[in-house]
Amino acid sequence: MIKTDARYIELIRVLQIEELYLERDPFGSAAKLRGWDPDEVIELTRALKEAGAIRRFGAALTPRNSGFKSNAMVVWEAGKMAEDAGGVMAKHPRISHCYIRPSFEGFPYDLYTMIHADDPGHLESIIKELSMLTGLSSWRALNSLIEFKKTSPVYFPLTHSLDGEK
Amino acid sequence: MHTYEKLPEPRLDETDRKILNRIQGDFPISRDPFGEVGKEAGVAGDEALRRVLALIDRGIIRKVGPFFDAKKLDYASTLCAMEVPGERIYDAVKVINAFPQVTHNYLRKGKPNVWFTLIAESRESIDAIIAEITDKCGAPVKNLPALKVFKIKVDLKLDDKD
Repeated sequence: MIKTDARYIELIRVLQIEELYLERDPFGSAAKLRGWDPDEVIELTRALKEAGAIRRFGAALTPRNSGFKSNAMVVWEAGKMAEDAGGVMAKHPRISHCYIRPSFEGFPYDLYTMIHADDPGHLESIIKELSMLTGLSSWRALNSLIEFKKTSPVYFPLTHSLDGEK
Repeated sequence: MHTYEKLPEPRLDETDRKILNRIQGDFPISRDPFGEVGKEAGVAGDEALRRVLALIDRGIIRKVGPFFDAKKLDYASTLCAMEVPGERIYDAVKVINAFPQVTHNYLRKGKPNVWFTLIAESRESIDAIIAEITDKCGAPVKNLPALKVFKIKVDLKLDDKD
């Protein structure tokens, strides 16, 4: 639906302008930029959300600055237990991301979780709790030491032609 | 992270918390979103907007807007891991960060030590970027696409803890 409809692509480009949401009437302003009717912008944006193309519309917090002081990527060696363990972990309110990814030579971990805790002790206790709930006993907390980059992806950038070279 | 100044303890009052909990998951897609949010939090629309702007200034809100499902837009994404010796890390970071398709990049404890995420318009494009990074950095890149996604949820419930 989306890639075939130029209107959605135009809309997605406009909706990615972050400054829109710093004023009272974001969708009215988006409409003005495109010369569209505001109600149409709202209707199409809601349609994108309903179709799941917009996973979430809202504010993203910086966990560290909003009371979640201890955040870590914790990887688990799950193997055949990955399906069940992933299901259990996904239910935990302090886990924001949970995926199965391939393991590789020297790195047997295949279940990835992002855990947000109040402090290091709390993180430790969440990990122990998850270990008990899932039966997984081999894990590693890959704390981030330096953030080199954190940005939002840009979909359908204007520098690429869509019907382009391929 | 040590690249940031230490910020003062966040003090969120009841109204801030109500606003945050609402707009994290469900920013109203309407002609008057801040009016609606304010109404629920018991303040006027202008006050709701003022508070949101202040939360952005304080670094508590990183961004307001849509979060797209890359897959639904026919985009491909992956997580990559690399082991880069200490003295070459900053050169590698320069190469990696130059790609707009790289959205996150972290130095992490242990081996591998450099972890970055890629979102691009196709698998082929991801493979091409990885090949270029491998070539320019002289270190192999592990491509670790999600085989199964159990959860992606970035809104964190703020309870009345402080």
